[in-house]
Amino acid sequence: MIKIAVYGKGGIGKSTTISNLSAALSDMGYKVMQIGCDPKADSTVNLHGKDHVETVLELVRKHKNQFALEDMVTEGYGGVICVEAGGPTPGLGCAGRGIIAALEKLQEKGAYEVYQPDVVFYDVLGDVVCGGFSMPMRGGYADKVFVITSGENMAIHAAANIAMAIEGFKGRGYAELGGLILNRRNVKNEDAKVKELAEDIHTEVVATLSRSDVVQEAEEMKKTVIEVFPESEMAQEYRTLAKRLLEICGVSEC
Amino acid sequence: MLKKVNAQISQEGAQITIGDASFPEPFVSGLEYASPARGTWNIVHTGMLIPEAHEIFVCAASCLRGVVLTAAEMHAEDRFSTVAVREHNLLDGDMEELIIEGVSDIIEKLPVRPPAVLVYTSCVHHFAGCDLDMIYRVLRERYPDIDFTDCYMNPIMRKSGLTPDQLMRSRLYTLLKEREMRPDAVAIIGNDLPTDENSDLMIYLKENHRKIHEITSCKSYEEYQKMAESAYYISYNAGAVAGGNMLSERLGGKHYYLPFSFCYDEIENSFTKLAEILGTPKPDFTGKREACDAALKETRALIGDKPIAIDYTYCPRPLGLARMLLDAGFKVERVYLDTISGEEKQDFIYLKEYYPGLLLYPTVHAKMRFMSEKEPSDMLAIGQKAAYFVNTNHFVNVIEGGGMLGYQAILHTLELMREAFLEEKDMRTLIQVKGMGCEGCCGL
Repeated sequence: MIKIAVYGKGGIGKSTTISNLSAALSDMGYKVMQIGCDPKADSTVNLHGKDHVETVLELVRKHKNQFALEDMVTEGYGGVICVEAGGPTPGLGCAGRGIIAALEKLQEKGAYEVYQPDVVFYDVLGDVVCGGFSMPMRGGYADKVFVITSGENMAIHAAANIAMAIEGFKGRGYAELGGLILNRRNVKNEDAKVKELAEDIHTEVVATLSRSDVVQEAEEMKKTVIEVFPESEMAQEYRTLAKRLLEICGVSEC
Repeated sequence: MLKKVNAQISQEGAQITIGDASFPEPFVSGLEYASPARGTWNIVHTGMLIPEAHEIFVCAASCLRGVVLTAAEMHAEDRFSTVAVREHNLLDGDMEELIIEGVSDIIEKLPVRPPAVLVYTSCVHHFAGCDLDMIYRVLRERYPDIDFTDCYMNPIMRKSGLTPDQLMRSRLYTLLKEREMRPDAVAIIGNDLPTDENSDLMIYLKENHRKIHEITSCKSYEEYQKMAESAYYISYNAGAVAGGNMLSERLGGKHYYLPFSFCYDEIENSFTKLAEILGTPKPDFTGKREACDAALKETRALIGDKPIAIDYTYCPRPLGLARMLLDAGFKVERVYLDTISGEEKQDFIYLKEYYPGLLLYPTVHAKMRFMSEKEPSDMLAIGQKAAYFVNTNHFVNVIEGGGMLGYQAILHTLELMREAFLEEKDMRTLIQVKGMGCEGCCGL
């Protein structure tokens, strides 16, 4: 089982990219679990197409501990196991604590042992704003962290912060930085800026994803590009990235 | 809107007949009250059962007051230290570092290096999701000569997962290291108080030449470690079952839960099962039932219709005790408990059917602040909290079953009831001593 956490600035395309990676890996025969760690609870929507799935924190709030593991998961495209951590009461609760509670609950209910996924993706909201958001980096959770960024300054700033957090955890046996994924916004000097960032944080740009209309088209249909435009160039880019991630995580293709 | 709360409050919500009560929570949980009856043990007392171990509590300073006072009251200041968490630790994200460096600083400054350190983290570490695994890994690497274990002062988890009581009882045995097992050695685990030498369990084990280990009698850390040679672990406090199972999983001995009970059949069945597990002869129960019946009659004749109140701190089966006494003609009027344990479901159902007028009272409901009797009452109380609430000096001053077990628990309870009926005690003084029976607790 490999566990990958994907971080990046809000709105950079983490959930879209991860959902496409999950779908691509599922097509390749892997059992994939995608865990959305964002209070918006929309990480997996393109995989299952539903307006709303019950989040782990909603279940905890409603039923305390009186619910089953199956209640926490929704099956998506290609059998991808979709989980949404959910969030606190808007404006009141603590989102970081929410992630901690949700991930602990998944572990407590035996999610990894029961489903035995080959690949687990943690889709983590934005920057590492507090300890709760670093939870997926911890020992027992992700092995590698990938950061999605564009050439926009805010995205680069967020990526640098995430890298700094990973560096700060060195020696604790936490996840390592696997690399950057450039999700193009076609801003000026984009490649050069992201390359410079990679050098600054001692990593590499593992893949570049083009800006493509098919991504938005698929999203409007609440589907992944892999599912609705499997022959598109974009779908091929996602498949290539999926293979690259496996390679970095030391997994040979099945 | 705030309401003035005074002595004229209704008892609604803080008193219910068992006929109307629901299982397992007869009272609504909310704002809580702590009565002055403080004989029951807390996590400081229990941790001190590991000889020579040092306790370190990490928490906000104001929350540390209670545990500091406990340590002081039991004259164990030299085995107790604290690390205060401040707001900047949360803001700076150095909570883990604070624990590691704080604990290290304490260890370095202690006049004698303790063989074991119990680190108690608290709610704030839980909320912040501190990486406790990493903390203990670093501490173990830094001090390989010290055994560390994780303990918790985490009231937020009081009603989910393992309770602090269950957790503490399980943590007590986590420091035991695997050693060669003796098939004749038995460890009695999970009790704060030593098992009574006259209890059915001790007598049975001794008759069958078992080597008995119990943490309450360990005088040194090495003696504590010898508990690990036991091939069998026996618990009789339901709060220790989780710990017993964990110990069994880790060290490989067999854990058996022998429930504390006032039911003749349950006592005999559980001891018979114990004999099967140990491979020892079936216990001889000849004359035991008759002796208990006779003691019940004798006690009933002495006490007559004096009203009786029981509370849950006396033993793990307050409803079982009420049932036995009511069936024998005693006038049990009240039982003080906050929840009903799963083990007592059958007793609850029985009492509901046959004694529906039996009154249940909580002990922590906020209204209990005003529901202790103002004038001394004519009741006989079994347990400290019951004694306080009904305001009587005629009470049985025992907590957690007092190490009694089997038919002996019935006989001794009745003996203590007769004694309490005949002699008064200074209730106000006795019940205020924290951790009754713990070493250093005024010998009370």
